[in-house]
Amino acid sequence: MWGKIKHWIEVRIGLEELTDRHLRSYKTPKGASFLNTLGFVALIAFIVQVITGIMLLLYYVPHPDHAFQSVQTMTNEIPYGWLFRLIHNIGSNIIIGVIIIHMVHVFLRVSYKRPREVTWISGCLMLFLVLLTSITGQLLPWHQTGFWQTTVTSTIPAFLPIIGEGISSYMRGGEFVTGITLSRYFSFHVVILPVIISGLIGLHVLLVRRQGISTSAIVEPESSKTSHEDFYREAHLKGQPCFPHFSLKRLFMVMLYFSIIFFIMTFWPNLFLPPESNMPANPLMTPETIRPAWYFLAPYQLIKTIPNDLLGISLLVIFSVVLLFWPFFDAKEAERNISRRPMLLSLGLIVLALWAILTIWGMYS
Amino acid sequence: MMRYVIIPVVVLIAIVSAGLSQAGYRETFEREFMLSPWSIAKGETSACIQCHTSDNMGPEMHEVTRQWKESWHAKNNISCHDCHGGAPEDASMSMMHQRGFKGSPKDVDIPEFCGTCHIAILDNYLKSGHGETFIATAEGPSCVTCHGSHNIQQASMDIINEQLCSQCHTYERAKEMKQALFMVESKLNTIDKDMKRLKLLGIATERQEKAFFRNHAEFRALFHSIDVDAVRIKSSDYAQKLEIIESEINDSFNKLAMRRNVSAYLFLLFIGLSIVVFLLSKSYEQQ
Repeated sequence: MWGKIKHWIEVRIGLEELTDRHLRSYKTPKGASFLNTLGFVALIAFIVQVITGIMLLLYYVPHPDHAFQSVQTMTNEIPYGWLFRLIHNIGSNIIIGVIIIHMVHVFLRVSYKRPREVTWISGCLMLFLVLLTSITGQLLPWHQTGFWQTTVTSTIPAFLPIIGEGISSYMRGGEFVTGITLSRYFSFHVVILPVIISGLIGLHVLLVRRQGISTSAIVEPESSKTSHEDFYREAHLKGQPCFPHFSLKRLFMVMLYFSIIFFIMTFWPNLFLPPESNMPANPLMTPETIRPAWYFLAPYQLIKTIPNDLLGISLLVIFSVVLLFWPFFDAKEAERNISRRPMLLSLGLIVLALWAILTIWGMYS
Repeated sequence: MMRYVIIPVVVLIAIVSAGLSQAGYRETFEREFMLSPWSIAKGETSACIQCHTSDNMGPEMHEVTRQWKESWHAKNNISCHDCHGGAPEDASMSMMHQRGFKGSPKDVDIPEFCGTCHIAILDNYLKSGHGETFIATAEGPSCVTCHGSHNIQQASMDIINEQLCSQCHTYERAKEMKQALFMVESKLNTIDKDMKRLKLLGIATERQEKAFFRNHAEFRALFHSIDVDAVRIKSSDYAQKLEIIESEINDSFNKLAMRRNVSAYLFLLFIGLSIVVFLLSKSYEQQ
C-alpha cells in the first residue's frame, strides 16, 4: 500500500529525484558545526511563530474594547490556548536570540564577504523586520505593558529632525496610541511584515543554496583560483551529504530550540509577561516603570544615557546602517580568517561587550 | 569603492544630526512625550492640585493634597472633583457652582456627601447607633470620625481598635463586633491575595472579582449597621458565598499546575529527543 502511494507521488512530482538533489547529493562541508544550523533554526522558529500566530488569530479581536478580553479568553477558556499563546510569546524572544547569535557567528567567521554581501544584507533586514514585528505584536493584547511600550517606542522616531514627527504620527495614526494604532499595528504584525519577511527568507535561502554554505577559512581554505569578478560556488566536493550528517545537526538544534521554549514555559511561564501585561491598557494610568523588551534595552539605555536624544537616535541609525552594509565597509581584499585580523575581532567583541553592558544597565536602571 | 561613498554619507548624517540637536528638539520631545496629556493623566493636570500645591497656598492646604495622594481614593483614580465637584480641567472655572463645585461639606452634610458614592453603606449607617446619634445631635460619629477625610485608607478590621472606639464609648461592644467579623474578614483577605496572585500569573479572575466585590461591598455595608447579632447571623451566609469563589480560585490554581505538568512533559520529551538525535549525529560522524 505504502509502495503504491509512494509510486503515485513519484510519478507526479519525482519525489526521489527531489530528495536526492536536496538532501543526499547536496553536499555540506565536513567542518559544518551546530552553529552553522542557526539559520535553519531561525527559519523553523519563524514557522512556529506563524503557526501559533494563526491559532491565536482565530480568537483575537483587534479592537481596543475587546482585544484584552479576547486574549484573556483564548489563554484561559480555549482548550490549550495558553500553550499556543506562551509558545508565541516565548518564541518571539527566542527567535531574536537565535538570529543575533547567527549574525555574530557569521560576523566572526567573516562569512559576509564576497559573494555573500546580499545574503548578509537580507539577513540584517530580516532582523530589523523581526524586531519591528515584535514591536507591533506587543500592542496587540492591549495590556498596560504593550500600550505604554508602544507609547514610548512610537515617540522615539520623533527625535529625528524633519521626518521624525511624520514617522511617529504614522506609527500611531494620530497624536496618541488609540484604536487606529491597534488596527495599524495589527495589519503590520499579521500581514505586511510576515509577507516581507517570507520574501526575504526566500531570497536568503536561495542565495545560501546558490553560493553554498560558508564555513571557516580554516576548515575550507579560500580558493585562490577564482577571480573576484567571477561567480564562484562552494560546492564542498569533499563534504558530506546533507542527509543524514548535517540534517541531524539541524534536527538536534531544532529539538534544543523546543526544549528551551518548554523549559522556560515550565519554570518561568511569565518571564516575558510582566505583571502589567495582565492588566488592560489604561491611558490614564502610567505604570511605575516602562521598560522595553530585553533586546531593546541596549538602544533604550543608550538614548537615556546620552543627554541629547537626537544624538542618541542618530547613533542608533548610523549603527544600523553600518551593520546593514557592513560587507561594503570591510576591506575587499582582507582575508577571512578572523584570528589574523585582530582589529576586526576587537571591534566585534567591543560592540558585543557594549551591547551586553547597556542591556544589563538598562535592566537595573 | 562603495565604502568611500557610504562612510562620508554616514559622517555627514552624524554631523548634521548633532547640529540639528541644538535646534530645540529636546523641547519638542518634552512637549510631545513628557508633558503630553496621556503621559501625565494621573491627575497632575488637575487645576485643584496645581493650585493647592502652589506657593500661594498655606501649609494646611498642601497637607490636604499630600494626604489625598497617599489615600485609597488616589490609588483608585478618585480625584478631588469626584467628591467636591467643579471643573479640574479649567483653572478659571474650576470652583464655580455653575460647574458643579460643591466645596467642603458642613459637618451635618458629611454622610450625604460620602453617601453619593457609598450608597448602601449610607443606608446602614443611618439606621445604626452611630447614625441615629449623628442625626439626633448633629455631632455624633460620621464617616470622617473613623475613616478620616483625605487620608482615607482601604477599609479593614484594623479600623476597629480600642484607641479609636474609646474616644466615644467603651471598647467592649466594638470588640464583640470585631470577633463576629473575623472569619469572613480573614476569608476576604485570603481571596483578595489569591486573586491578585492569579492575576499576576495570567489567569483571568474577572468573574471571581465581580462576585468578590459584590460580597465585599454587602459585607462592608452590613458592618456599618454595627449590629453584632445581624453580623453573626449573616456571616455564615457570606462565608458560604465566599467558599464558592474560593473553590473557583482553587480550580484556577489546579489549572496552573496542569499547565506546568504539560510544559514539563513537553520539555522532557524534547530534551529526550535532542539526546537521541545528538547521539545519532555523533554515530554518523564516526562512520
